[in-house]
Amino acid sequence: MRRGLAWIGALLLLSGCASSRPIDEIQIIQQMGYDFENGRYTGTAVYPTFKQGPMTKPNMLTTTSPTIYDLIPRLSSKSALPIEEGQLRLILFGQEFARRGVTQITHSLARNNKVGSHLLLGVAEESARELLKITAKTTLSDTLYLPNVVEQNEQSMNLPKTNLHLFLYRYFSPGSDPFLPYFEKKGDFVKLEGVALFRDDKYVGHVSLRDSFLMKILLGETKNGVYQLKVGNRGKQGEDRVMLQNLWAKPKYEWKRDGSRHALDVFVHIHASVRDYPSWLDHPGDDLFDDVKKKMENELEHNMRRLFRYFQKKRIDPLGIGDFVRSVTRHWDPDAFYREYPDIDIRPHVTVDIVHTGIGE
Amino acid sequence: MKQAIPERFLISPFLAFFVIHAAQIGVGALSFQRPLMKEAGQDAWIVVLLAGLAAHGLVWLMYRLFSYSPSGGDIVSLHEQYFGRWIGGVLSLGLLFYYALVALTVLQSYIEIIKVWVFPLMGAWQFSLVFLLLTYYAVLGGFRVVAGLCVWGVVIPLLTIFPMVFFPLEYAQYRNLFPVFDHSFGQLVKASKEMTLQYLGFEMLLMYYPFLKNAPSSQKWAHAANAFTTFIYLVVMLISIVFYNKEQIQHITWPTLTLAKIPEVPFIERMEYIVISIYVLVVFPIITISVWAAMRVVKQLFAVQQRRSLPVLLAVLFVGTLFVQEKTDIDRLMKWTAEAGFYLAAVYIPLLYVYVWAAEKVKKALQQKP
Repeated sequence: MRRGLAWIGALLLLSGCASSRPIDEIQIIQQMGYDFENGRYTGTAVYPTFKQGPMTKPNMLTTTSPTIYDLIPRLSSKSALPIEEGQLRLILFGQEFARRGVTQITHSLARNNKVGSHLLLGVAEESARELLKITAKTTLSDTLYLPNVVEQNEQSMNLPKTNLHLFLYRYFSPGSDPFLPYFEKKGDFVKLEGVALFRDDKYVGHVSLRDSFLMKILLGETKNGVYQLKVGNRGKQGEDRVMLQNLWAKPKYEWKRDGSRHALDVFVHIHASVRDYPSWLDHPGDDLFDDVKKKMENELEHNMRRLFRYFQKKRIDPLGIGDFVRSVTRHWDPDAFYREYPDIDIRPHVTVDIVHTGIGE
Repeated sequence: MKQAIPERFLISPFLAFFVIHAAQIGVGALSFQRPLMKEAGQDAWIVVLLAGLAAHGLVWLMYRLFSYSPSGGDIVSLHEQYFGRWIGGVLSLGLLFYYALVALTVLQSYIEIIKVWVFPLMGAWQFSLVFLLLTYYAVLGGFRVVAGLCVWGVVIPLLTIFPMVFFPLEYAQYRNLFPVFDHSFGQLVKASKEMTLQYLGFEMLLMYYPFLKNAPSSQKWAHAANAFTTFIYLVVMLISIVFYNKEQIQHITWPTLTLAKIPEVPFIERMEYIVISIYVLVVFPIITISVWAAMRVVKQLFAVQQRRSLPVLLAVLFVGTLFVQEKTDIDRLMKWTAEAGFYLAAVYIPLLYVYVWAAEKVKKALQQKP
C-alpha cells in the first residue's frame, strides 16, 4: 500500500516536469543549409508541412546573419511555431562556407544532445540554399530526398559511409582527415557528384564518384560499388568497357622502410562480378578473361596510384593512412609523419577475382 | 549493540555478489573512459584490469580484517575494540561522512545527467525530493530491502543497457587497439588511480558484513562481484577504444551515453534516453546502500533509532543537492569522493589491517608469557 502510494506520488511529481511538445505545435527541421555569401552567413532550414493525410510538402526558411551561432534564433523569428532540431537528418554546407571551415558547426552539433550521431553532412558545389530549394521544389512529398540519396548510395553504390560520428572521428583523429558527400546542381536536379575532401575542417577539393569506389575499398568497407573499366581498344564506343561490381574486397596495408624513405604497400583483393561486358569477350572456354583480368588489375592499380598522389599533393589523408601507421609504430609522431607524407612511396597491388558473370554467358 | 543480529535480518552469502556489484557500477561507468584514455590512450583497457586486480586485493584484505573481529562485528565495533570508545568513535564518524558524501555525489551527478540530457528546465530539487523519499522508504525497510534493490539494480540494467554497448561495433576501428603497451608501466599505474571511483562500492561491506549469513563464506561471491565489475568495465572500455579515438573522446562528456546514440530501432530513434531512464535502477541502489550504511554507523555509535536519524541525513542530502549545481562543483565533488574513497580503501584499510594484525600478535605474546 505504502509502496504503491510512493510510486503514484513519484509519477505525479515527475510527470509535471516534462515539457511536452506535440508534433503539430513545433517546426521540425529536417535539413539545414549553411552558406557564406558577401560576408554574411546564410542559414536555410527545410521543414515538412503536413497537408491532408500522409502528404507532406517541404518548405523553406532562410535568414542571414553576420555570425553562425544566431542563425537558428533568427530563423525562429520567421517561424510561427518553435523550431526543433531533434529530427535533423542532413546538414549541407555551401562550398564557400566549407572552405572557411566547418568546425564551429560540427563542434556545436557534437555538444547538442538533441542531435543523433547518424546525422548526415554534405557539401554543395555552390550554394546550399540553391540546392535545398531545388529539392524542395522538385520533390513532391519527400522532404528527405538528399538524405535518402546519400543513404542509398552508401548502401549499394560507390559512396563510402559518412555521418556526424565518422566526420568527428576523422576530424579529431591526428591520423586522418574527414570527407563528405559532394552534391552538384544539374539543371533542375541535384546530383551526387562524389566525395568532398577536407584538410582538418576546411574543404580543399573533391573526387569523382568513380574514384570514391576506390576510396570505399581502400577504407576497408568490404561490399558494394560498381566500377567501369576499359579493357580493349576496339574503337567502337562502349564496346570495350567492362562493368565491375564489387562483391567483397579487403585492403591490407604494409608499412616498411625502403632505403632513406618509407614505403606503404597496399594489397587489395577484390572479389567481383562482371555485370556487363562487350560481346567479343563472350567466348566460353577462352583465355580472354585472364587477359582482361590482368588489364583490370593494371588499370585499378594505375587509378589508385593517381588517387594516392592526389591526396599526397593536397597533403590530406582521408584514407587514414596516418592512423594505420600509428597502429604499427611505437610512439608515433604525427608531425614527423605528415612532413614525410607527400614523399611516401605508396604502392597499390590489386588482385581481381571474377566470381561470376551473372546467370548467363 | 554487541549481540548478533537475528537471522531474519540476514541475507544469503551469494547476495553479496549483487550488493557489491550494484554498489560498484554507478554514474562513473558513463564517463570513466575520458580521463583514462587521456592518460593511457589505447592501453586504457590494461589500466581497467590493473585497477580491478587492486580492488581484488582490497576485498581480500577486508575479509582478513573481519576474521579478527568478534562475531557479528562491523567496522564500528572493530574500531571500538581496537581504539577504544573515543578514538574509535571519531574514526567511525569519518566513515559516516564518507558514506553521506558518496550518496550526495551519486545523486547529484545523476541529476546533472537528467538535466543535461532530458529535462533541462527541471529544477534539481524536484528530482532529488522524489529520489530521497524513495530512499527513505527503502532504507526503513532494512538491509534486506536494500539488498533486494541491488539484485534488480544489477539484473535489469544488465539485460537492457549492457547489450546496447555492442551496437557501436559497427563503426569499430580495431587498429585503434594497437600498438599494445605503448605506455610505460608507471603511466598505467598512475592512470589506474582514475579508476578509483569506478571500483569503489565494496567498502560498504565494512558496515553490512555482519548482515551476511555465514559471512566468511561470502568472500568468493565478493570476489566474483569484483571480477564481474572488471569484466563490464573492460568491455565498455574496449568498445570505447575502437569506437572513438583518443582526441575525440576528450570532447565527449559521457562517452558511454554517446555510444548509446548508435543503436536505432524504428519506434524509438534515440536509445540514450532509454539508457538514462533505466539508469535510475543503477543509481538508486547505490544511494540507498550508502544511506543505509551511514544510518548504520549512527545507530551503532549513538544508539539512535533509524526512524529518527534518517530524516535528518536525507534533509542534509536534499540541501546538499540544492547547493551543488554547477558542473565544476559536481566535478569537484566527484574528485573529493574519489580521493576520500581512495584513502579509505587503499590507504586506511591496509593500515588498519596492519595495526589489528600487530595488536593481535602482541596480545597473543602477552597471554603466553605468564
